[in-house]
Amino acid sequence: MSEAALEVENLVKVYHSRRQPPVRAVDGMSFSVARGTIFGLLGPNGAGKTTILKALTTLNRPTAGRARVLGFDVVAQPLEVRRRISVVLQETAIEQFLSVRDNLLTFARFHGLDSALARRRTEEVLERFHLAPEADRKAIDLSGGYRRRVQVAKVFMVTTPVLFLDEFSTGMDPILKRAVMGYLREEARQGRTIMLTTQILSEAEELCDDILIMNKGRQVARGDLHALKLLSEGVYEVAITFERLPETIEAEIARLAPLRMKINQNTVELTLKAEEGRVLELVSELARNRRVLRVEVSGASLEDIFVELTQEK
Amino acid sequence: MAPIAAVFYREGKIRVTNLTFIFWDLFYPLGYMLVFGVGVNYALGSPFPTGGVDYNAFFLAGVLGMASFGIAANTAWGFFLDRDNGIFYEMLTYPLSRAEYLLGKVLFNVLVATLQAAITVGLGSIFLGIRIHFDLLPLLFLGVMGGTAGWFFFYAIFALKIRRNDLFNSVTSVFYFVFLFASSIFYPLEPLPAWFRAAALANPVTWQVDFLRFSSIGIGEPRRIAVEAAAFAVFSLASFAYAVRCLQQQE
Repeated sequence: MSEAALEVENLVKVYHSRRQPPVRAVDGMSFSVARGTIFGLLGPNGAGKTTILKALTTLNRPTAGRARVLGFDVVAQPLEVRRRISVVLQETAIEQFLSVRDNLLTFARFHGLDSALARRRTEEVLERFHLAPEADRKAIDLSGGYRRRVQVAKVFMVTTPVLFLDEFSTGMDPILKRAVMGYLREEARQGRTIMLTTQILSEAEELCDDILIMNKGRQVARGDLHALKLLSEGVYEVAITFERLPETIEAEIARLAPLRMKINQNTVELTLKAEEGRVLELVSELARNRRVLRVEVSGASLEDIFVELTQEK
Repeated sequence: MAPIAAVFYREGKIRVTNLTFIFWDLFYPLGYMLVFGVGVNYALGSPFPTGGVDYNAFFLAGVLGMASFGIAANTAWGFFLDRDNGIFYEMLTYPLSRAEYLLGKVLFNVLVATLQAAITVGLGSIFLGIRIHFDLLPLLFLGVMGGTAGWFFFYAIFALKIRRNDLFNSVTSVFYFVFLFASSIFYPLEPLPAWFRAAALANPVTWQVDFLRFSSIGIGEPRRIAVEAAAFAVFSLASFAYAVRCLQQQE
């Protein structure tokens, strides 16, 4: 039995369309994911995240290379792969004409649950996702947020060893999102492997044991959050709140060549890449002869690392 | 069988949420028979110049063939609905093969077509006095089931290849016109011009309807019917194989 839950070797996916040049969405990616981990695949729009997820869920065939789920090849043994996965796709996928309860029951049926178990799990999931009051409403009558909730709730009906989530929190309210993240951590503790793609970096920062950042179909960084932060050593986030925002501050900051800058009312947030001592000097320069209410200097966040690694050079 | 049963369950669940649909599916062929069929029957008079039967009896197989064709087109159109609901691609990640998915999808509609045929044949016999060959009824139901499945696989190819439902609707409109009128549904082929007859004989609708006509009222030359049935089986299997391939290529 394969030790890794997911294995990708030199994966290439080229999309061909008429009157358009071919698009190399994934360009020789290789990685593996250990069982029971929450693996985050991060990247900007068009990086190739969804293409990799589609290959691993048997929704597309790689142009070259191999991908395996729990040792089963996605091209040669697609049915074995599908028996071991459940998937939340980026777009809201729901049976519009069925009630919330029937959506869950139908999903369970597809995954081979017997009737009694399916009914019991349905009631549990309805409670867990606060869907019980909506259980008999047709999905078509629900708001977008509730439909997304039903879609995510479905994968908790089954206990497939691998779970794929493509931008799962889109349209979800913050309270539910927090709860779902808790459920996902619990599932991983019980040995389920979870692969998620996201552009919400705080989500990945909070949830993932293992992160891969990709851009233009290629890997640009890989590791846990700590390892990624080391990659970005010398990157600092600075926040300065002035009593009154100096008129020349924008030009002054531009001269420091920050990786990122944001001015919100009288607060300036910037990301600087420099040695720690130099960063403190620069902060002192900006604050000199001005009334400063708050200064905060911290290490880089995942967002900073992401921006640094994926921005156009 | 469990994956096919799951798709069957899903199709049934969706269909029973709209009883008007079910009613329409079950009874609309009867409408054709009682309105169009009876009207033409009176206009032409009896007996109709084929096989010594009246037009009502002749048209019965046409109605059943037309119903198979219509149910198949509607079922294939369901792919667009599934795509719009986003469920289509999710279903392709469920633990079932592409072939099982297609078979399950058509199975519920084959059941509807069979019930529809039973109602149409029963009421046609009672109210229009059509003399049914009850000993051949198993063959008739086989023709309805095989026909519905075959046409569904054929339509599925286009529904899966064409991504726009407006274009698919245009294609089905053309198919309705070409396949239904250039066939033996509405009229016997013998008096037709040679080119028309040749086109109709090459049309799988004719193959299915001739089989249904033979197995309902006993009209037709058995050897020719057998050849046509075999040709329809080949057409259905080829359509099925290609539809599975199209489904495998969905990305």
